[in-house]
Amino acid sequence: MVAHLVRLKLTLLRNIFRRSRAQAIGAVVGIVYFAVFVAGLAVILASLRGSLDAARVVIPLAGAAGIVLWTVVPLFSFGSDPTLDPGRFATFAVPHRELAIGLVAAALVGLPAIASMVLSAGVVVAWSHTVASTAVAVVATAVGLLTAITTSRWVSAIMTHAISSRRGRDVIAVLGLLLLVVIGPAISVVANLGAGLRDLATTAAQVVSWSPLGWAWAAPGDVAAGDPGTGLVRLALAAGLLVLVFLQWSKVLRAEVDNPRAVSRSDSGASAGDDLGLLARLPGTPLGAVAARVLTYWRRDPRFQISMAMTPVVPLALLVPFYTGDVPWTPLLMGPLVAFLLGWSEHNAVAYESDALWLHIVSGTSGRDDRRGRLLPDVLLAAVLVPVYVVVGVAVADRWDLLPAALGLSVSLLGAGYAVSSVMSVVMPYPVPESGESPFNAPPGAAGITIAAQSMASIGTLALASPTILLAWLAWQGSPAAVWAAGVVGVLLGGLVGVAGVGVGARLYERRAPELLSALRRS
Amino acid sequence: MSDVTDLPAPQGDPTEGPAIALRGLGKRFGDLIAVKGIDLDVPRGSFFGLVGPNGAGKTTTLSMVTGLLRPDAGQAFVLGRDVWDDPVAAKRLIGVLPDGLKLFDRLTGLQLITYAGLLRGMSRELASERAAELVAALGLGDAQGKLVVDYSAGMTKKVTLASALVHAPRVLVLDEPFEAVDPISAATIRRILSGFVESGGTVVLSSHVMDLVERICTHVAVISDGLVLAAGELDDVRGDRSLEERFVDLVGGSTEVVGLSWLRTSSD
Repeated sequence: MVAHLVRLKLTLLRNIFRRSRAQAIGAVVGIVYFAVFVAGLAVILASLRGSLDAARVVIPLAGAAGIVLWTVVPLFSFGSDPTLDPGRFATFAVPHRELAIGLVAAALVGLPAIASMVLSAGVVVAWSHTVASTAVAVVATAVGLLTAITTSRWVSAIMTHAISSRRGRDVIAVLGLLLLVVIGPAISVVANLGAGLRDLATTAAQVVSWSPLGWAWAAPGDVAAGDPGTGLVRLALAAGLLVLVFLQWSKVLRAEVDNPRAVSRSDSGASAGDDLGLLARLPGTPLGAVAARVLTYWRRDPRFQISMAMTPVVPLALLVPFYTGDVPWTPLLMGPLVAFLLGWSEHNAVAYESDALWLHIVSGTSGRDDRRGRLLPDVLLAAVLVPVYVVVGVAVADRWDLLPAALGLSVSLLGAGYAVSSVMSVVMPYPVPESGESPFNAPPGAAGITIAAQSMASIGTLALASPTILLAWLAWQGSPAAVWAAGVVGVLLGGLVGVAGVGVGARLYERRAPELLSALRRS
Repeated sequence: MSDVTDLPAPQGDPTEGPAIALRGLGKRFGDLIAVKGIDLDVPRGSFFGLVGPNGAGKTTTLSMVTGLLRPDAGQAFVLGRDVWDDPVAAKRLIGVLPDGLKLFDRLTGLQLITYAGLLRGMSRELASERAAELVAALGLGDAQGKLVVDYSAGMTKKVTLASALVHAPRVLVLDEPFEAVDPISAATIRRILSGFVESGGTVVLSSHVMDLVERICTHVAVISDGLVLAAGELDDVRGDRSLEERFVDLVGGSTEVVGLSWLRTSSD
C-alpha cells in the first residue's frame, strides 16, 4: 500500500513535465532556480559547523520556522494536495494505519520534501563535531523532518474538514488575515531592535529549543557541546512528539475516510429560528431595514469583519513614530485618520453585495433610504471611534490646545468621505472578492480599476476637506485663531459636504440604479 | 419583422385594461439586438406563460418590465403605470422573482422575507407576520433560521418567491420559477399561484418547460429571437396540437438529429 501511494506520487511528479512544452520548460527553470537557492541555503547551514554557538542559535530557530512553514504554507498558497486528499480514499478499503504511513511517505517524495531533505543534510553537516553528535543529528533531523511533514498532513486534514463548512471557511480566512496583519508590525519591531537583535535571537533560540518545535533541532547541539544528557532528553521528547502527531493524524484520517462528509453536513451558524435579529431592533422603516441588514453583514461576512478589525487598529500605528522617533505630531492625526478610513471605506460598499441589489430596485427603495441606510452603521461606529481617537491622540501628544482643530479636521474628513463614497459606490463600483471567498482573493484583472477607484476616492475626500486641512496645518504652525477656525469650519464643512454628497448620491442612485445593477453583474 | 405584422394589434388602451402592456419594447447589447420591439398585452387575471428557446429574450423582456433593465426603446406599463416614467407607482404593484441574481444571502430566510417587506415600506409587525405565514405556506419552517447561503437551489427559489409575495402585489413577474424545484414544492407553488390568480391577481412566468405551461397557464406568448411569434389564450395559440409541437413549429428549429451514428448501439 505504501509503495502504491509513493508510486502514485512519483507519477504525479513526473507528469509535471508531461504537459505542454512551455509548461515543462517553465517547470524545469523553476526547479533549477529553486534548487540553486536551496543548495545555497544548505551550504550556509553546513558552514555553521565552524561555530557551535552560532549553530545552536540558528538551527533551532530555522528548524522551528521550517515546521511552521510546512504547516502554514500549504493552507494558503497551494491548498492541501487534492490528489492525495484522504477523503478520496473513502471508497477504497485501505487499512487506516497503512494509509496514514503511505500518505506521509508520498509527501516525502514531493519537491518541498526533497528541498527540506537537502537542507537537513546541511544541518547534519553543521552538527558533525563528534561521532556521537553526528549520529544524534542524523536521527534527530530525520525526526524533525518527519514531524514537519506529518504535522502538515494533520493540519491540512483538519483544515479540509473545517473548510467544508462555511463557518469554518470564514474563521480560517479571518485567522489568516490577522496573521498577515501581525507580521508587518512584528517585522518592524525586529528591524528596530538593531543591536538588540543578537540578544533577542539567543533568547528566542533558548526558548524555542525547549518548545515542541525545537526539540529535534536542538538535541544534536547539546551532544556536540558536551551535554549528552540534555540532548537525549530532547531527542526522546522529539520522538514522542512525532508519535503523538502521527497518532493524531491517523485519527483525523480515520474519521475522514470513514465518514467523508460528516463535517460539511453540520452547518448552520444562524440565530434561533424565528429571531429577526437586528431587523427587529432598528426602526421598522426602509432606512432602518437597510441599516440593520448592513450591520448583520458586518457580523456575518468575513470581508467586513476584516475591515472592522483593521479600522480601529490602524491609527495605533501612528504611535510608533511618536514613541520611537520622537515625532511630536503623529498622535494628533489618530482621530483624523480613523475618520478618513471610516468615510473612505464605504466607497465601494454596493459591490460587496453583488447583484443582490435587485431587491432594492424592484422594491422601489428611494435613493435617500438606500444611501443613508448604508451609511448609518458606519456613522454609529464613527460616533464612537472618532471622538475617542481625537481625545486619545490629543492627550498622548499633550496638545490639548489643538483639540478643536483635531476634531474639526476629523469631522471634515468624515463628511467628505461619506460624500465621495455615496457618489462613487453608485458611479464606479469595482470587483471585490465574492462573499464566501477568501478576502485575500483578488478578482482577476481588476487591479487597474481597483487602484484607480481607490485613488480617486482618496483624492476626492482630501480635496473636499482641503479648507479644513489648510486651517489645521496653520493651527499646527502656531496660529491660535486657526485652531478655532479649523474646529468651526471643519464641523460645518464636514456636515454640509456630507449631507450634500449623500443627496447627490441618492439622486444618482435613483437615476442610475438599473445601470448600477448591470455594472455589478458584469464585475 | 414580418412575423410581427401578421399578429393582430394588441387590444385595448395600454394605460387601462391589461395588467401588463408592452409597446415597442426593445433592447440592444452592443451588436446583439436582444429584444426587437415587442408589443404584448397580459390581460388582468390571467396566468400568463412566456415561452421561448434559450436566448430568446425572455429574461431581458421581464427585466425591462420589472425595472431592472432600462429599455432602449418602447414602454412597459403595469396596470396603467409606466414602469420607467412612474417607477414608484408601478413597482408597488409588482412582485418579482428574477432568475440568476444573488440574494442578500447572509440573512436568514425569515429575515430576508421581512427585509423585503420593510423595503416596501410595510410596518415591521405586518412584514414579520406575513413572513412567518409565507415561510409556513412554502414549507420553509425548518429552515427559516438558517442563512439563505446554506439553502438548496429549490429552497432559494421558494424564499425569493416569498420575498416577491410579501407586500401583496397585484401582478407577479416570475422568471423560471420552477427551475430546480422538486415536484412537491412545485405543486405547493402552483397552488399558491393559482389561488393568487383566482383572487384577481395576474401571474406572468417564463419557462421552457412546455408541459408545465400547458398545464397551468391560461394565456401564452411564444418569444424567439427577440420577437413575439404568437400570443393569446392557450387554446388559440396551440390550436388542436400540443403546445410543444406548435412551439417547435413556430420557432422553426429542426428536431431531426444529424450524425451521431456512433451513438446508436445497432452500429456495433
